[in-house]
Amino acid sequence: MQSVLTQISVVVIGYAGFVVLAALFSILRWRARPPWLVSLVWMLEFLMAVRALAGVAAIAGGERPDAFATHVGYLAASVCVMPIAVGSIDADDEGVWTAGVIAVAAIAVSVIAVRLQQTV
Amino acid sequence: MPTPTTTRPSRSGAHQVLIVLYALFTLAAGARSIVQLASDAGRAPVAYTLSLVAAVTYAVGWYAIREAADGRAGLASVTLWIELGGVLVGGTLSLVARDLFPDASVWSDYGIGYGFVPAVLPVAGLLWLRHRRGSGAAA
Repeated sequence: MQSVLTQISVVVIGYAGFVVLAALFSILRWRARPPWLVSLVWMLEFLMAVRALAGVAAIAGGERPDAFATHVGYLAASVCVMPIAVGSIDADDEGVWTAGVIAVAAIAVSVIAVRLQQTV
Repeated sequence: MPTPTTTRPSRSGAHQVLIVLYALFTLAAGARSIVQLASDAGRAPVAYTLSLVAAVTYAVGWYAIREAADGRAGLASVTLWIELGGVLVGGTLSLVARDLFPDASVWSDYGIGYGFVPAVLPVAGLLWLRHRRGSGAAA
């Protein structure tokens, strides 16, 4: 089970890095946020949901991390951060700073994914 | 006669990034301190309490920046200085009195555990406030 969790985490961290770069690219263009950026974000959220589901399944299967409360906290945060960040952006707001919001949230998600793996 | 745009809150801008950062740090510092205080408060009470203080400061900062974006900068201009003072005092204390910090707090070593974002955040907030005041004066 651990190897599966590690593989999913590697994919999530790599993809989150890609989303960060895409968001930074949007900021550097200094134009309206491109619509494809939000599509990338929801793909990242899907991957995080898969990682969280696998993490819950591992715990349900009898695995108990040493820092259990911390690990569960990271599991919960991993799926909450991106929807909260995107939800803070008004639907019709495509300003360049909204790409900054996405960049910050994607960095946070990648850090959470790393910490999640460290606390397994 | 005031136009509708003079009273309308500023929607898009750098404050959006600051607000998300403050929300994230409220969550991170709050969850960290609550877990640490609930599980083993006696191990590093000063560090864990300082993390809780940091969480409250970030929550107030989050609210203050939202208010400042709507044109009410009074609270932000106070709370951001308090936060900066907290990072500098907490960071320095963690370096000179290591025995008080057997475990790290959010502000230990000026926030090194969080990539120094805790030290940069209040400075960024104060610069944004200053820029906002400058823009307002020019308008």
